[in-house]
Amino acid sequence: MMSTFWILLRYEWRHFRAAKGLVLLTGLVLLVGLYGIYYGTTEIERQRQHLATLPTLAHHNVEELKKKFPGPADAGDIGYYHTTFAVHHPTEWASLALGQRDVNPYYVKLRLLGLQGQLYASENVNPTKVLSGNFDLAFVLVYLFPLLIIALSFNLLSSEKEQGILVLLLAQPVRPSVVVAAKLTLRLLLVLGLALLLSAVAIVWARVPLDGRVGLWLALVVLYCLFWFGVVAIVTALQRNSAFNAVALVGAWLVLVVLLPGLLNVYVEATRPVPQGLALTIKQREEIHGGWDKPKSETMNRFFALYPQWRDTATIRGRFVWRWYYAFQHLGDESVRPLVAAYTDGLRQRFDLVEQLAWVSPAINAQVSFSALAGTDLPTHLAFQQSATRYHDALRAFYYPYLFRKVAFTHDDYAKEPTHSFTSTSELGTATSGLGKLLLSVAVVWAAGLLLLQTRPLNPR
Amino acid sequence: MIRSIAQKELASTLRDRRFVVLSVLMLALLLAATLVGRASYRTLQRERQVAQQTVNDQFHHQPNRHPHRVAHYGSFAFRPKAGLSFLDAGLDSFTGTAVFLEAHQQNSVNFSQAQQASSLIRFGELTVAFVLQLLVPLLIIFLCFSAFAEEREAGTLKLLLTQGVSLRRIAWGKIAGYGQAVALVVLPALALAAWLLLSNESFANSPDAWARLALFGLSYVVYFFLWIVGAVVVSARQAHARTALVLLLGCWMLGGIILPKDTANLGANLFPAMTKAELDAKVHEDAQKGIDGHDPQDQRSAALKANLLKKYNVDSEEKLPVSVGGLVMAESEAYTAKVYQQHFATLNQTYEHQNALASWAGLLNPYQAIRPLSMGLAGSDFAHYVHFQQAAEAYRYQLVQRLNALQTSMGYGDKERKLDAATWRAIPTFTYESPALGWALSYLLVPTLALLLWAVGLSWLGLRAIDKTSIA
Repeated sequence: MMSTFWILLRYEWRHFRAAKGLVLLTGLVLLVGLYGIYYGTTEIERQRQHLATLPTLAHHNVEELKKKFPGPADAGDIGYYHTTFAVHHPTEWASLALGQRDVNPYYVKLRLLGLQGQLYASENVNPTKVLSGNFDLAFVLVYLFPLLIIALSFNLLSSEKEQGILVLLLAQPVRPSVVVAAKLTLRLLLVLGLALLLSAVAIVWARVPLDGRVGLWLALVVLYCLFWFGVVAIVTALQRNSAFNAVALVGAWLVLVVLLPGLLNVYVEATRPVPQGLALTIKQREEIHGGWDKPKSETMNRFFALYPQWRDTATIRGRFVWRWYYAFQHLGDESVRPLVAAYTDGLRQRFDLVEQLAWVSPAINAQVSFSALAGTDLPTHLAFQQSATRYHDALRAFYYPYLFRKVAFTHDDYAKEPTHSFTSTSELGTATSGLGKLLLSVAVVWAAGLLLLQTRPLNPR
Repeated sequence: MIRSIAQKELASTLRDRRFVVLSVLMLALLLAATLVGRASYRTLQRERQVAQQTVNDQFHHQPNRHPHRVAHYGSFAFRPKAGLSFLDAGLDSFTGTAVFLEAHQQNSVNFSQAQQASSLIRFGELTVAFVLQLLVPLLIIFLCFSAFAEEREAGTLKLLLTQGVSLRRIAWGKIAGYGQAVALVVLPALALAAWLLLSNESFANSPDAWARLALFGLSYVVYFFLWIVGAVVVSARQAHARTALVLLLGCWMLGGIILPKDTANLGANLFPAMTKAELDAKVHEDAQKGIDGHDPQDQRSAALKANLLKKYNVDSEEKLPVSVGGLVMAESEAYTAKVYQQHFATLNQTYEHQNALASWAGLLNPYQAIRPLSMGLAGSDFAHYVHFQQAAEAYRYQLVQRLNALQTSMGYGDKERKLDAATWRAIPTFTYESPALGWALSYLLVPTLALLLWAVGLSWLGLRAIDKTSIA
């Protein structure tokens, strides 16, 4: 029995090599995959280069300030004119799945002023380009590989039937299930080989560290391809003609890869609105600028309630004092704290809802898992914003002693200022639970496919 | 004869259960997309109107303040959704919503919907335009792939030709029949859109919105027409229905998914754009040292002051009837705005270079012609976005300069004084008038031309090819 299987497999391989169109298509997918890897790595490389120029920009800023304030200066002036950056470095995996890294800013320019007016600044982005989306390896795997699988196997049995070969084949002492198995196995080997080859190239090219995540990525890739072969098995088992198969498979692709994500997107936006973004910006400005018009003692008392350690500092007299200015800047941030929490919670809930409902389509599941593994999705950006917030806290903590104890800011003090660096981490929880869900969907389609193949006797005509 | 072939095609299509199921699904999807689009349009529009109203009221109800305080207090511009954007959201989800308008700097437009979404949004959004641009062509493919091949395989093609009809006329008959079938699916959705538009008073009386909707519908008619013609031609040229189907699906995937992404990404790789941090640093540098590096800010201020003293023939600032501070602010605002304008022009030019590849690809790929045309007509394309950005900047500039003029008129020692609260109520707030259709069309020449070229080329060259096709 085994030997017939091998004979059939070899025959299928020869058959595939003779079909110029299919070889061409496979070659094309290989090239497209390589382009995806090239695009992803250059995009991340460019982001890295941009991030690398930021220290230079910050350095120029310091040089300029040193010229502007040659002697010991008021720290308030420095805090006002000095710009520094909170930076978000990508993981090596980001090259394979860019996720939202091109939409969300990967650095934030910060001054000592109120944080909430600075945290949401966008990066220069060409909207037409981001609308079209990224051509990275994850796109090739999630979007295009199912199409390759469909093109290779939509006429798995039907073409043999239509050409009258199946009758001849089954006249030999061969079990029909072995024929189907051999045909599916060859295509499976071919597609998995291609997917794993591309993944390996990407992993080497992007210099991904070889740890457990490599296994996770490869498992996701294999399971996702297996899912689509399960769908092919179901459609093959129905034993309809080639045109029907093509329509059914493309229909399944359309529903799972295009329609369901679109519908889920609409559902998430409708059920989890986040109007707090605009609201918090407006409120923060109102609070900060109201600071100018309120009595100074009122502002300072509210500030001291939060920072009692500065309560014993000198009473403020005169029209303008920096520590009063920074006190009401911070009170502006404090006033929108609940709104900020509601906003980030809302965004987090959006993501959680997507993750919860990802089982409806393995494509969504794969995409969410890939970008979670690469640390390029919304939760990572929220983590970066949190880290930038902590950095801003650290900056304030650094400047407050100068401001409140009236210590002069000297040229040596620039180097003591805290700096920031945040590197994305893989969201392994999301990725592994995605793997679990994917495993489940593979089990479901294969169970259905095998059951159908078993129960429906093969009709050779 | 053409008419009876068309009738036959329509009748047999309507009798085909698979097509009826698919069409009903498609129609349901279109109607749902229209309603969902409308609902989200209204939510977003309301959110932004409320926000704009809030900041306008806040601006008018400021206490006594120094004008430069008010210039820093500034205002916000919220981008209103364009009237037809509920049919084609275009770039709207990827462009920002709110921009803070203040003295000295031009801020980024923040809070785009894409920034508030997970990577799920990158699968594409379910809008009417999406259904029309990608799903209806798929329906057309399933409808037409067997147009000729089936008749050929069943031998009815020979019978038809013995009636004295040319292949070309048969093709036109089929195209007309399929066209009617597609119209049955699409027209109810367009009618719903028109009715929704009518229910909104501000648009019901706007001839501009109606003209946009009419052209929107018309361009999709051309788009569907060329898909039908293309599918019928492919069906005639291929020996088997099966190969025709695979070929057409291949074209659909290449044109609808791979090429658009590919050209956009390649464009961005070929013409790298400046980052915000670089742009800010350059603007700062140019404003400080002068655009050509020979005109530093402090020298400009000193010269301004010297000229003033000369003009009023006095020897010190105290004796001037105007505030030097206000004039210096006005001068530096004018200078900085010029610097910003230069750099933004360069940036937008880079984006246009990046996008050029994709828009010229419209000549190769009809999907990349209808997409910009559709979002341009819906008012959600890049040109409309830049128009808003520029309107917001124009308002910011005149607001800040108005406040600088107020400061100037306060005379020497203005910093110790404030202006009355009534002053702020006299200052007009930001209102945005979206551009007219004529303006929008001037940006849509390439895609319009590409679409027409395709339609004419296919119906001429394609049908000539049909004449030469084999009958058996």
